[in-house]
Amino acid sequence: MTFASDTHSFDSFEDALEGQFELGVTDGLPVIPPTPERVAAMLVAGGVAGDTVLGEVPTRDVVVTAEKVAINAVMAGCLPEYFPVVLAAVRAFLQPLGNAHSTTATLAGAAHAVIVNGPIRHDIGVHGGQACFGPGFRPNATIGRALRLVIRNVCRTVPGVLDRASFSWPLRYSFCFAEDEEATAWTPLHVKLGYEREQSVVTVQSIMRLFQVTEFAPESEEILTTAYEIARHMGLQRDEWAGDGRSVVLVIGPEHYRRLVADGWTKESIAEWLYPRLVAETAGKFDQKVTLASPANIWIVTAGGPGIAQSWWFIPHLATPTHEAVLLN
Amino acid sequence: MTVVTLDPTTGFGSGEAFPLAIRPDTLAGQTLGIVANGLGDSESMFDAIAAALSGTDGLAGICKVVKHSVAVPPQPEQWQELLAHATVAVTGFGGCGSCSTRSMRDALDLEAAGIPAVCIVHSALEPAVRAMARLVGADNYPVIVIDYPHNPTAVWTAEESAMLANQVLDAVRLRLTR
Repeated sequence: MTFASDTHSFDSFEDALEGQFELGVTDGLPVIPPTPERVAAMLVAGGVAGDTVLGEVPTRDVVVTAEKVAINAVMAGCLPEYFPVVLAAVRAFLQPLGNAHSTTATLAGAAHAVIVNGPIRHDIGVHGGQACFGPGFRPNATIGRALRLVIRNVCRTVPGVLDRASFSWPLRYSFCFAEDEEATAWTPLHVKLGYEREQSVVTVQSIMRLFQVTEFAPESEEILTTAYEIARHMGLQRDEWAGDGRSVVLVIGPEHYRRLVADGWTKESIAEWLYPRLVAETAGKFDQKVTLASPANIWIVTAGGPGIAQSWWFIPHLATPTHEAVLLN
Repeated sequence: MTVVTLDPTTGFGSGEAFPLAIRPDTLAGQTLGIVANGLGDSESMFDAIAAALSGTDGLAGICKVVKHSVAVPPQPEQWQELLAHATVAVTGFGGCGSCSTRSMRDALDLEAAGIPAVCIVHSALEPAVRAMARLVGADNYPVIVIDYPHNPTAVWTAEESAMLANQVLDAVRLRLTR
C-alpha cells in the first residue's frame, strides 16, 4: 500500500514514541506510532482507499482523507475493527451543519459527543452502561480520541493557533459512548432518525454546555421538571444559520428511566411535555428560553448505570447534531 | 531498528504568496462593504464607521450584510450582493475564536475576489487571525486591532462603540487605499 503522507524516521520504537511529542501531534498523552503497517491495517478494516475524501473544513482549506484519519486512529489506540465507526464519526463531524470550524475554534471550547447505536456496539464493545462517559473502555476512549486527533492534526485545531478555547475541557480528550438500547423498551435514537434497527449509526453532537440532572424524587413529572429547569439555567439562543435543526440531547440514566417508564412515558411523550416548558419565554437570568423549533429537537438517549438518579443534557454549540451510518465491508 | 511513521497532519500554509486586491487612491466614490458577524454590540461600531466615512471621505454607498451566525461565511445571496456592490470592505468583529478567524477568512475571500478588505479584530485574537492569514499565504496581511480595556466579545456600550469607530477610522482608510 502506498501513502500520500510525509514520513518520519526514528532509531527505535521509544524514539518514535517521543518523536510524536516533538512533532507536536499529540493531545499531550502518548500515542501509538503510526507506522505504515498499522495504518494499512486500519484502511483495510475500514474498506476504504487512503485517498477517499470524508469531508472538508472550507474555512481552513482542509480536505480530510481516509489516510489521515487512519493515521490518527492508529495514534489514538484504535483497533482496526473500530475504524468503520471512526470513519462514520468523522463524516458526521464534517457535515456542513456540524459547523466544524466554529465548534473547534470557539473561545467556549465546545466538545463533541460521539454516540454509537446499532449492532456494532456489541461487535467491538462500545460501552453504554455503568461509567460509560468515563475512562476504562478502549473503544469509547480511542474512538472519541481519534476524532479529537483528527480535529487537531488534520483540521488544524491546535491550541494557541486555531483552537482558541479560553479554558478548553477534559471532554476534548475523548467523549464516546453507546446508547444502551437493550436496557430500555424505548425506540433507539438511530431508529427515530430513520435508520433500521439492524443498522449501526454514529451521531455527533457539539456540546457547549453539559448539565447534570440529578433528581431523587420518585415522581416522574418532578424528574422532568428538574430537567427543564436545569436546561433553562442558561438557555439557548436561536442561531439563524444552524436553523431549525439545532437540537439538544438528553441522556436519561436507568434510575430516571425506571421511574419514567413505570408511569408510561416514552421518548416521544417526554419530548412533547418538555418542549413548551423549554421554549417558554425567558423569565429571569437563570430561567432562560431554550430555543428549539419543535419537540423533535429534543433527542433522547438512554445510557449510564444504576444507582444515582441522574440524567444529562448536552446543549449544543452553533451546530446541529449530525449522523452517519457505519459502513461495513 | 528504524521505525518509520506517517505524518498525521495536513500541514500549514500554502507556500504561495497571496495576491491582494488593487487599492483605490481614495475612498471617494467607493461603496463600502460591511461583513458583520453580529458579535455583541459590534454592528453599531460598523454603522458608525460607515456613517463617518460617508461624511468625510465621500463614499458612494454602503453594502452591509449581517451573517446568519458569527463564524460562518456570508450566505450565497449575501456574497453575491457584496460582489455586485462593494468596491472596498471591512469585516469583523474578530472578538471570539471562531468568529475572528472566519472574519479574517471573509476579508481574504474578498481580496481574492478583487475587493480590497480589512478585518477588525481584538488583540486577544490577533494570533488566531494571523494563523488564518498564514494558512493562505497572506502572512503579513494587515489587520486593525482593538485592545483592552475594551471587551473582546464586543460587550460594549453605545458610547464605546462610537468611540471605537472613531479610533479605527484612519486605519480603515489607510488599509483600503493605496
